[in-house]
Amino acid sequence: MEAPLLEVKGVTKSYFENGKEFKVLDLIRFELAERDFVCVVGPSGCGKSTLLRIIVGLEPPTSGQVLFEGSPIRADNPQVAMVFQSFALFPWLTVAQNVELGLEAQGIPPEDRHARARKFVDAVGLTGFENAFPRELSGGMKQRVGLARALAIEPLLLCMDEPFSSLDPLTAQNLRDEILQLWANPDLPPKAVLMVTHSIEEAVYLADRVIVLSSRPGRMVAELEIDLPRPRNRKEPEFYGWVDEIYSLIV
Amino acid sequence: MRGLRGRLRILAGIVVLAAVVVATVNPRAAFNAIQLPLYALFSTTRMVLAYLLSLVFAITYGATAAANKRATVIMLPVLDVLQSVPILGFFPAALVFFVVTFQGSPIGIELAVVFLIFTSMAWNMAFGVYESLTTIPVDLEAAAASFGLRGMLRFRLLALPAAIPKLVYNSILSWSNGWFFLVASETFTAFGGTYTRPGLGSFITNAGIAGDSTGIALGVGVLAAVVLALDTFVWRPLGVWSERFRMETTGHEVPRVPSPYERFRWLPRFPRLRQTFVIAVQPVVTKYRRASVRLDRTFSAHRRVIREIRFLDLAMFSAILLLVVVAGLIGLVRLFLTPLPPAAAELPRAAASSFIRLGLAYAIALAWTIPLAAWIGRNPRGSRYVTPVLEVAASLPATALLPIIVGFALFATASLGPAAELSAVLIALFSMQWYLLFNLIAGVRGIPEDLNEAARSFGLRGRAYWRRVLLPAMVPSLLTGSITAWGAGWNALIVSEYIPFLNPPPHVSGLGYLLDIATFNKPPDNEMILLTILMMIVIVLAMNKLLWRPLYKRAAVKYRVEV
Repeated sequence: MEAPLLEVKGVTKSYFENGKEFKVLDLIRFELAERDFVCVVGPSGCGKSTLLRIIVGLEPPTSGQVLFEGSPIRADNPQVAMVFQSFALFPWLTVAQNVELGLEAQGIPPEDRHARARKFVDAVGLTGFENAFPRELSGGMKQRVGLARALAIEPLLLCMDEPFSSLDPLTAQNLRDEILQLWANPDLPPKAVLMVTHSIEEAVYLADRVIVLSSRPGRMVAELEIDLPRPRNRKEPEFYGWVDEIYSLIV
Repeated sequence: MRGLRGRLRILAGIVVLAAVVVATVNPRAAFNAIQLPLYALFSTTRMVLAYLLSLVFAITYGATAAANKRATVIMLPVLDVLQSVPILGFFPAALVFFVVTFQGSPIGIELAVVFLIFTSMAWNMAFGVYESLTTIPVDLEAAAASFGLRGMLRFRLLALPAAIPKLVYNSILSWSNGWFFLVASETFTAFGGTYTRPGLGSFITNAGIAGDSTGIALGVGVLAAVVLALDTFVWRPLGVWSERFRMETTGHEVPRVPSPYERFRWLPRFPRLRQTFVIAVQPVVTKYRRASVRLDRTFSAHRRVIREIRFLDLAMFSAILLLVVVAGLIGLVRLFLTPLPPAAAELPRAAASSFIRLGLAYAIALAWTIPLAAWIGRNPRGSRYVTPVLEVAASLPATALLPIIVGFALFATASLGPAAELSAVLIALFSMQWYLLFNLIAGVRGIPEDLNEAARSFGLRGRAYWRRVLLPAMVPSLLTGSITAWGAGWNALIVSEYIPFLNPPPHVSGLGYLLDIATFNKPPDNEMILLTILMMIVIVLAMNKLLWRPLYKRAAVKYRVEV
C-alpha cells in the first residue's frame, strides 16, 4: 500500500522552563489522504498552532514524527504551503511579488513566475491589484494574497492556521465559500487541506473530518467524519447536531 | 506651509545681503569665507566615509549577532559597552595609533578623524540591525522558511528590508552625532601640539581662537546650512522611503520613539529637482539590481563556499576580539601592578565635580523641556513656528557652538574661573537638552487620542491632567531621552572642561580636564588617560545598569500605553 499523504505519528511537544516541563501536545496521531479536508479544533491554548507548525516542519516535536509522502517533513518542502492568521505578507513587496515568493525561492525564471502569479491572483479575485502593497489592502484582500501565495507553488497539501480569525464575519464567510469553490476545482491545487481553527461552526462548515483537541495539554478527544452533503446549510438541525456534539466534547 | 516657504526665501535673501555687506566692510573675513565651500566639502566627505564604514560594519555585525546565538553572548555586551562609553576619550589613543602607523603624515590624522566619527556612528546602527532582525514577526519568519527562502535570497527579501526602518532611523541619529565629533576632532590638541585638518569644524575653532566673531558666525551658519541641506535632500527622503519597509503593527505597539522624518517637515521638498535626480540615477539602479540578481545566482550555486567564507569571517572577528581583549587586559594588569601615578588621587573628586556639573545641566534641561514638550505635543498648530527654530538649533552640534558659548561666558562673568564653570555647564546643557526635548515631544504625541478624550470627558484638567495623563505618558520617553542625554553629556565634558585654544586656557576640575591635560602632556601620560577613561566607563555603565535600566524596565510595565 502506498504511504498516505501525511502521517502524524505520536507527536508530543513540551517546553522546558527552569527545569520544569510544560506539555503542550500529547501523543497526537492522525493521517491525511488525498482529497481530505481536515480541521483541527480546540479551545484556545490547546496547542493547535504549535501542532500545525510541527506538521509543516517549522518546529521539531519533542517526540514522535511527521511523515510527508513517507519521509520526514522539511520546512522548505515545496509540496506544502502555509496560510497564516496574521497573513504574514512581506510589507515591502507588492501583491505579485508576495505571490511569487515561493516560486522565486525555487529558482523559477521571472517570466514563468509572473505568469503563474497572475493566474493565482486572478483565481482569488484580485485582478488589477498586482502592483498594490499589502498595506493598501483590506484584511480580506490580504488573506486572499496569502492564499494565492500558498496556491502559487501548487502544493499537494495546504495548511491554514486560523486563516479567517483576523477577518470580520462577513468577509470570513465569503472567503470560506471561495476556498470551498477553489477546493472543488480539480484543476487547481491542493490535493488536501489541513486547517486549524477555534471555531467549531467553521470546522463543521468546511471539513470532511474534524479532529477535536482538549485543552492543555492538547490531547486528541475525537476524530469525526462530517458526512453532511455540500453545500452545507448552517440553519439545518443536522449541522447544529454536529456543532453541539463537538461542543460537548470540548467542554 | 507656503507662507513658511516664502519666509525661507526672504531669509535666504537676507543671508545673501549680509554676505555682501560683510564682504565690503571686512574683506579679510570675506577672503576666509571663500574657502568655506571647500571646507564644507572636506568635512562632508569625512562624514560620508565614516558613515559608509559604519553601514558596512553595522550590517555585518548586527546580522552576525542576530544569526548566531553563541556569538550574541559576546557581541551584544561588547556593543553595549561601546555604545555607552564616552568615545571622545578614546580619540587620543586612536590618534597615537594612526599617527604612528602613518609616520606623522596627514593621512594618519585624517584616518584618525574618520575613525573617531565612525566610532560615534557605528554602534547604534549595529544595534538597530540586530534589533530589527531579532524582532521580525514569527509568522513572517515562518512564511520565509516554509516558502523556502534561504541564503542571499532570504537576506535580500527578508532580513535587509526588515532592517531598513531602524537602520535609517538610527542613521539619522548617528549622522547628527557624527557632526559633534567631526567638529571636535578636526582641531585636536594632544602631545603638546595642535593637529588641524581643514574643514568646517577647524574653521570655526580657528575663528574662535582669533576672536573673529564674523568668522564664527559664518562658520556656524555654513555648518547649519550643510546640515539642513543634507537633511532635506538625503535623510528626509530616505526616512519617508524607509516607511514602506515598516512592519504593520496590528494594534500591538505604538512606536514611542520620536520619528526623525517628522522633523524638518517644514523644509521645502523640491519635487522637480528630486525627480530629475531619480531619472538620472535610474539606469545605475537597474544595472545594480541586475548585477545583484546575477550575484545571487552565483552565490547560491556555491553555498559551501559561502559557508566557509562566513566561518572564516567569524574566526577572524573572534581572533581580533581576542587580541584586543588580551591587549587590554595586559595593559590593565601592567597599570595596576605599578604604583598609581600621584595624579590618580584627584580622580574621585574630579569624577564628583563632573557628575555634579552634568546633574546641574540635566536639571536645567528638564526644567525647560518638560513644559515646552507638553505644549508643543498638544498644540501642533500653535507650535508650527516654534518647531523649525528648535530643530535648526538642535541640528547644530554643541562643539560648533563652543566658541560662542565660551565668549558668552567670558562676557557674562567677571573672571576666568566662574566663566570656565559657566561655559562647561552650558556646553553640557547644549549637548543634553535636545535629546530630552524631542523624546518628550514624541512621548506627548504618542498619547492615544482615546485617552485624551476619556480624560476630557471625565473633566480632568490642569494639575490632575498633568498628574494622571501627561507626566505618566512622558515617563518612558523621558528615560530614553535621559540615557542618550547623559551619554552625550559625558562626551561633552571632554571638550568643555578644558579649552586649550585660549590663553590662559580656562579650565575646571573634572574628569574631562584630567583626560585633556594627560593627553596634552608631551609625552602623553598614558596611565592617566587610561585611568580617567576607565573611571568614566565605570560611572556610565554603573548608571546604565543600576539606574536607567531598572527604571526603564519598571516604566515599560507600568506606563506603557497599549492601544
